[in-house]
Amino acid sequence: MRNVWAVCKREFASYFVTPIGYVVIGVFAAILGLGFSASFLFYAKISVNPSEYAYASVPDFEETLLSPFLVFAGLLIMFIGPLVTMRLLSEEKNRGTMELLLTHPLRDREIIFGKYLAALGMLVVMMAVLTVHLLIIGYYVDVETTVLGFGLLTVFLMGAAFLALGLFVSSIANTQVTAGTMTFGLWFVLYILGSFGENLPKTNPAPESWGQGLRLAVGAAYGIFSKLVQQLPLDVHAREMAKGIVAPKDIVYYVLFAAFFLFLTFRSLESRKWRA
Amino acid sequence: MIVANGLTKYYGQFAAIEQVDFSVEKGEIIGFLGPNGAGKTTTMRVLTGFTPPSRGTAEIAGYDITKDPVEVKRRVGYLPESVPLYDEMLVCSFLSYVAEVKGVASGQRRLEVERVMERCGLSHMSHRVLRNLSKGYRQRVGLAQALIGNPPVLILDEPTVGLDPQQIIEIRQMIKELGADHTVLLSTHILPEVTMVCQRVLIINKGRIVAQDTMQNLAGANSVIELEVSGETSAAAAALEKVGELVSFSSEGATRFTAVAKEGCEPGPAVTKALIEAGVGVVSLRRRTQTLEDIFLRSISGDEAANAGGAK
Repeated sequence: MRNVWAVCKREFASYFVTPIGYVVIGVFAAILGLGFSASFLFYAKISVNPSEYAYASVPDFEETLLSPFLVFAGLLIMFIGPLVTMRLLSEEKNRGTMELLLTHPLRDREIIFGKYLAALGMLVVMMAVLTVHLLIIGYYVDVETTVLGFGLLTVFLMGAAFLALGLFVSSIANTQVTAGTMTFGLWFVLYILGSFGENLPKTNPAPESWGQGLRLAVGAAYGIFSKLVQQLPLDVHAREMAKGIVAPKDIVYYVLFAAFFLFLTFRSLESRKWRA
Repeated sequence: MIVANGLTKYYGQFAAIEQVDFSVEKGEIIGFLGPNGAGKTTTMRVLTGFTPPSRGTAEIAGYDITKDPVEVKRRVGYLPESVPLYDEMLVCSFLSYVAEVKGVASGQRRLEVERVMERCGLSHMSHRVLRNLSKGYRQRVGLAQALIGNPPVLILDEPTVGLDPQQIIEIRQMIKELGADHTVLLSTHILPEVTMVCQRVLIINKGRIVAQDTMQNLAGANSVIELEVSGETSAAAAALEKVGELVSFSSEGATRFTAVAKEGCEPGPAVTKALIEAGVGVVSLRRRTQTLEDIFLRSISGDEAANAGGAK
């Protein structure tokens, strides 16, 4: 545990010795602030004159502003996430410091958890920026505190899950650039998958003319495929949660997502033992 | 303290080291010699747990390197060849991180860092950024991080590379002092360094150990004759071939020969006689004890020649 903390401290400090920590937090704060102002102003305009925007009455605050804003924050964190995770393990390999890391009395899990915690530390700093916005909302709008709390939790879970994926990519890449690019690419795939999933036809795509058995098989395969496309993207589960509707399956989804990629990272680090 | 047992490491099809066996006693300073690419660094990486062996095992301080890697790493201070450091850190914060990872209690951490900085002549550099250090100072920081926690075994991959002559002398002196209560395995290209510092040498070539013995045994056993002749070189070579007291000989240029005698033999008279009988003039003949250089060159280039000579 002490070793996890030692690795984490060194890693977290190095974000702020190099410009990367400031860049990440700065860019996040700037874009989040812009997004917040724009959506708040837009919501205010709608509220003043709902009929102009095809709303019967003043739209629900949670649904129209809060939830999309939180999902936006989560997606933004994931967008910047590659900058946080890309250096974690690939940089050690590139600089050769892996030789120090692996010859010091550290267990693999201490290295991985230490690095993951450091990335979560960056996430917490970003959450602090987000909390400022939520405090402003809490001050001016009549929203339950628990809804805001769950909102924060949602964004944290989204970020934590994605950072685990980034850590894994960093463990298989040899340079920061490849790790960053690959992680960003995966973010993009997950994001596109999200909007793709909404537009998938609900019915069996196999034509009527095909045999009964084949139609069933294609239908089953398509069912699994469309379920995956609809459920896998990280922002899908957040949309419900951000409205304050908390279902255990959504939380479990994020925890499992993170655990899965931490496990893969562990395997990837371990692979040095059987690879040439 | 260190026992290697049939260590073998393949990189794909290529065997970087093969069947490496040796042992190092407690308190010994052992020199690890070999040409580039012979497998020195690979052996050290296997011992320190950076790369696992393909076959074979090794024990350090009684712990198996594959079964108890963390226990082994607690007892080994390792200076990698390229001296990788976290470039953005300060000297003192880097060393303090290493102390923490190596399990130095938080109360003693600062003292321990000061101790190794003092030991390696880094005290005045403690607030420098590692990136800005010269090669020599990087080397010292690498050595300092190996010494943190006072591990009983030190594995140093070319510790004096990149240092100035003054520093080299200091570091050698330091390694000698460390030898009193540490077991040190160091690799180097500088042969006199081994003579000065080490009690025993291991010579490795093409992944195999080709010689290992104490300095005295290696140097004292055989005497060496340096010859200069006039006349037919091939006749001289043929004559030397027939001298029973010689283990091997090599020619340098057209008229110079260096011959190694069998253990305990005094080959001077026999060599002179053989040469004169063959009609070769002896210009000069000098006898000296074998240096590490002779042994090294003989072990890595002429193990075939040595074998042929030994069969005589």
